[in-house]
Amino acid sequence: MFLQREVLITGIAVIAQSMPMLLRGVRINIELLFALLVLGLLVGTLVALLQVYGGRFFGTLASGYAWIFRSIPAIVLLFLFYFGPSEFGVDIPPFFAAVLALGLRSSAYQSQIFRGALQAIPHGQMMAARSMGMTRIRAIFLIIIPQALRISIAGWSNEFSSVVKDTTLAYVVGLNEVLRRVRIITDRHYDLAMLAYLTVALIFLLLTYTGNWGLGRLEKRLRIPGLQMMRGGTREA
Amino acid sequence: MKKLFVGVVALSMVLLLGAGLAFAGDKYIVASDIPWAPFEMVTADGQFFGFDLDIVRCLAVVEGFNLDDVVIKNTAFDTIIDTVKSGKADIGASGFTITADRAKSVDFSQPYYLSNQAVVIRKDSGLNIVSALAGQGPTKKIGAQNGTTGFDWADNNGIGITVNGYEYYPTAILDLVNKRIDAVIQDEPASQSSLAAYPDLLTIAGIINTNEYFGFLVAKGDPKGLLPMMNDGMAKLGLSVLPTAGGMQKLVVTPGSVWDNLLKGYFGPTNDKIEAAWLASKDLLLVDQDVEAFAAKFAEEATK
Repeated sequence: MFLQREVLITGIAVIAQSMPMLLRGVRINIELLFALLVLGLLVGTLVALLQVYGGRFFGTLASGYAWIFRSIPAIVLLFLFYFGPSEFGVDIPPFFAAVLALGLRSSAYQSQIFRGALQAIPHGQMMAARSMGMTRIRAIFLIIIPQALRISIAGWSNEFSSVVKDTTLAYVVGLNEVLRRVRIITDRHYDLAMLAYLTVALIFLLLTYTGNWGLGRLEKRLRIPGLQMMRGGTREA
Repeated sequence: MKKLFVGVVALSMVLLLGAGLAFAGDKYIVASDIPWAPFEMVTADGQFFGFDLDIVRCLAVVEGFNLDDVVIKNTAFDTIIDTVKSGKADIGASGFTITADRAKSVDFSQPYYLSNQAVVIRKDSGLNIVSALAGQGPTKKIGAQNGTTGFDWADNNGIGITVNGYEYYPTAILDLVNKRIDAVIQDEPASQSSLAAYPDLLTIAGIINTNEYFGFLVAKGDPKGLLPMMNDGMAKLGLSVLPTAGGMQKLVVTPGSVWDNLLKGYFGPTNDKIEAAWLASKDLLLVDQDVEAFAAKFAEEATK
């Protein structure tokens, strides 16, 4: 229906006029994305380190954490983090609640990306570092992590593409992000729903493209010339 | 790389802290699901208006509040009660029907609007209000917005039908237009405004007299003492609520009052006319805080 010529022309005019309003929503998505990725990266790295090097106790704890946050639907987490604390008299602002809920969820996914990367570093490197007199901690931080971070970038571009879209769920805690603002257009122009949603799709295509392009560049820049990873795992290398 | 990383972390900490410190002061927060014409509307540049919101503003003015302290917070309908219960907003004003179930978790003002549910169908479907709700349409499905009384009514009274719940009413209308459902149940004023979008395709098959009263809601026990002021303000604006035989209530509006003018302006004219009228008169309300002058000018502009 939106392909009718007049509808399309007036539709594009209406959407162009609403663009500043939509972009104010996109700003919320981007701020949220940024904050949740950083929180996810910090916590995710920690969880992965504990899972790989933390011994049985911390390892189990970290696995449990990753299990819990990967199991609960994002929208349920948002509800729990936003409305939960007020049961105990703690008022938590919507943005903060959304960052915590989506960020911790992302950290669980990021931890698994990073764990895979940590385990992909051949065990021989650790042995070599130790034989040169490095402590285990020093070897982890100076030898293993810098390489694992590089390997993780490919996985992160996947996680990035995924959480970009999770930010549209933040409407349930009262953040008027871009998807909720589409309603302002569709409520006045029911026949523009398709066009409005296509606009949002385009915005997210751009966001994902930009993010993945940046990560791709980072990956290239940080590539270590000549470094080859042993195929097929870690221990036997 | 390291510097960039530290920078990113520092910046996001500032962002998080900033968000954490942005607590509201002595503001009164009104939660409303915008848009839901004509009760909740928004101008092209993002200013909120609509019957509910202007009534709340007028109530605030006649009860001696400053409108700068009234903050309207756009909140998804099915989270408004939780938002008010948890103290994140003080008033819920979003065309809420007063129901016994809702009254268990929040307190309502006296009723301010009497609404019935309209059943919207496609003109070419050959259905009527009874057959649509009795599963005689092609899909045996009807739509309603989640958390609304229309949804509850269909769920409890439909025979042999599935009720599809939508996050948002216009998407239900879209599904109806696309023949994925046979009918949509929604409050009458909102249904009228969806017909305006598809005058050739859709029609109202009939009205179910559910006799629903809309009320404003506050947290249980009315911690800020807002309900007596709201009820008193409604009387000042020209609405009296009289009990009738049989436990019903009758809403009587004083002709020429602020209330009367807001009803005239918001119910009847097209959405475009309402918006133009509001933009032409809003300064009288928002700047001068003169409710009489605002309502008179608004009604005049909308109906001319």
